Amino acid sequence: MDAALLEQMLLGSLLALSVYLPLRCGQLSLATPGFYAVGGYVAALLSTGVAAFAGSGATSPLPALVAEMVLGGMLAGLIALAIGGPVLRLRGIYLAIATIALVEILRVLNLNLPFTGGAMGIFGIPQPFAHAGGYVLFTLALLALACWLCQRLEAMRLGRAMAAIRDDELAAASVGIDTPRTKLIAFVASAVLAGITGALAAHFFNSWNARAGSFDASITTLAFVVFGGSRFWLGPVLGGLALTALPELLRPVGDLRLILFGAVILLGPLFFPQGLVTAERLRWLAALLRLGRKRGHQAPQAP
Amino acid sequence: MSHSTHGTAPSPLLQVEAISCRFGGLLALDRVSLELAEGEIFGLIGPNGAGKTTLFNVISGLTNPSGGRCLWRGVPTTGLGASGLNRLGIARTFQNLRLFESLSVRENVLVGLHNAARAPLLGALLGNGSFRRHQGRLEARAMELLSLLDLGALAEQRAGDLPYGDRRRLEIARALATAPQLLLLDEPAAGMNPSEKDDLQQLIGRIRDQFALTVLIIEHHVPLMMRLCDRLAVLNFGERIALGSPAEVRRDPRVIEAYLGGSGGGSGGGSGGGAGRAAGDGR
Repeated sequence: MDAALLEQMLLGSLLALSVYLPLRCGQLSLATPGFYAVGGYVAALLSTGVAAFAGSGATSPLPALVAEMVLGGMLAGLIALAIGGPVLRLRGIYLAIATIALVEILRVLNLNLPFTGGAMGIFGIPQPFAHAGGYVLFTLALLALACWLCQRLEAMRLGRAMAAIRDDELAAASVGIDTPRTKLIAFVASAVLAGITGALAAHFFNSWNARAGSFDASITTLAFVVFGGSRFWLGPVLGGLALTALPELLRPVGDLRLILFGAVILLGPLFFPQGLVTAERLRWLAALLRLGRKRGHQAPQAP
Repeated sequence: MSHSTHGTAPSPLLQVEAISCRFGGLLALDRVSLELAEGEIFGLIGPNGAGKTTLFNVISGLTNPSGGRCLWRGVPTTGLGASGLNRLGIARTFQNLRLFESLSVRENVLVGLHNAARAPLLGALLGNGSFRRHQGRLEARAMELLSLLDLGALAEQRAGDLPYGDRRRLEIARALATAPQLLLLDEPAAGMNPSEKDDLQQLIGRIRDQFALTVLIIEHHVPLMMRLCDRLAVLNFGERIALGSPAEVRRDPRVIEAYLGGSGGGSGGGSGGGAGRAAGDGR
C-alpha cells in the first residue's frame, strides 16, 4: 500500500469523525464536505497568495501549514456557529436536507467567487512535506488527537448530554440539559474538524476546487459512518479507512470495482445494521484485552 | 385564598394562574389555577383526556400555554423552556416513560446529575486528579440514588432492557438527580400491582421528607391518592372542578358526577379509578 493511499484513508477517517460528532447527539448533518472545502480554500488561498504562508518555491514551512489549519478550522467553525442556530431547529431528514443545501450553496459560491479560481480551482499549492510519508505521519498525529478527544468525550458531561439528546431530546431538556447549545457545540466541532482536514488535504492534493465539497462527498462521508458504526468513534475511523481504500484496492478488477464498491456499501448495513463497531463487540474486545493484560501481569511473577 | 399576598406572607412555591391551552379546536385546559405550598403532596385527578398531562407539560415547560402564566416563588416562568425550568428546581417523570434507553441505568442517573457535573474543561480533557475525584463523587451520588430506589443491583443494565416497574423507578431516580424542589410524577403507579403501589406510596412519602420536596402527582388510582395526598385538584374537560383535602374532594358532588356520571353513590374512593376511566373517556 503506498503512502498516498494511506494518506487519503486517514483523511477519510477524519471526515468520518466530523460526520460522527453531530450524529453522536442524534443530528444527521451532511455538511461536512462543505466545511472541508472551506478549510481547503483557506489553505489554498493563503499559501498561494500570501507571501508569509507561501515559503520558498514549491515548499512551504510547517508552521504556515498549522496556521492555515487553525484558520481554516476557525472559518468553518464560524460559519457553523452563524447558521447552526436556525438550522439545528430542524430534525432528522429535514436537517439532512438543509445541510445538503448548505453544501450546495458553498459549492456554487466556490465556483463563482472572483478569487477561488472558478471551475479550475487553485493549483500549485506548495508542499510542506517532501514525501507523502511526511503527510501520513502528520495526519496520523492529527487523527490520534481527534480520537483522543472523542474518547475523553465518553467520560465527560458533554458526552453524556450528547448521548442523552440522541436517545430522547425532550427528556434531555427535562433534566436540565441545554439541548440547542449542546447540539450547536457538536455541529461547530464537526465543522472545525472538517475545516482543519480540508486545509491539510489542499496541500496534499496540491490543487483544490469546488468538487471537494459536493453532494457526492456528503453521501460518501455518511457511508463511512454507516458502514463503521455511529455509536463509538472507532466505528467512523474504521469506516473511513476501509471505504477510502476499497475503490483503490479494487482497481485490478477494472470497471467492475464501482459495482463491487456499491455492493459492499449495500451489504455492510444489511449484515451489520449497527455498523462494524457496536457496543457488544467493544465489550467483547475490552474483555479480551483485560484477559491479555492479566496474563501479561502474571507472566513476570512466574519463577 | 387566591390572591391573599398581603404583608409578609411568603409566596407559594408554584402558582398556576388561569392557564389555558388550546390545540386547534380543542380547549385542553380552560383557565386552570392552582397554588402549591412548599412541602405538600398535591394530587391531580380526573378522567382520561381531562388535561392533567397537558398541565404537567405547561408547568415543566414542554408546552407553551395559550393563556395564563406560572409563577415560581412569585416570579413568572414564561419562556424559560424545559431545561431552564429544571434548573430552577422542577423535575418530572413521564406517563409513557422517556428513559435514555441505550444508556445504562447508572448513566441515566448521571445524565440527571448534568448540572451538578460541571467541571473545568482542561481537567476533564486531561482526566486529572480533581476531575477524577469529581467523577467519583458523581458516581457515588448516582449509586446512592439508585439504591434508594432499589435499583443498585441493576446499575450496569441497559435502561431499555429493564422491566416496567424498574423503569418507572429509574425515571424517579433520574428526576431526583437533578436536585429538584418540585417533583412532578405523571402516573407513577401505572401498570403496578397492589403491593408495588403500596411500596410506591411509601417511597413517595420517604423521598418527600428526605429531599424536602413538594410533589405534584397525577394518578388514576384514587384510593392511593386519597391516602397519599395532602390536597387534591380534580380536572374534567380542561376545567378545574374541585380543589381541597381528600375528604372534601370525595364529597364534592361535581367530582362524583364526573367520575360516576350522575347520581353516583357516596363511596367515592373505592372503585373510583376504574369508574373514572370508563365514565370519562372523552378524548
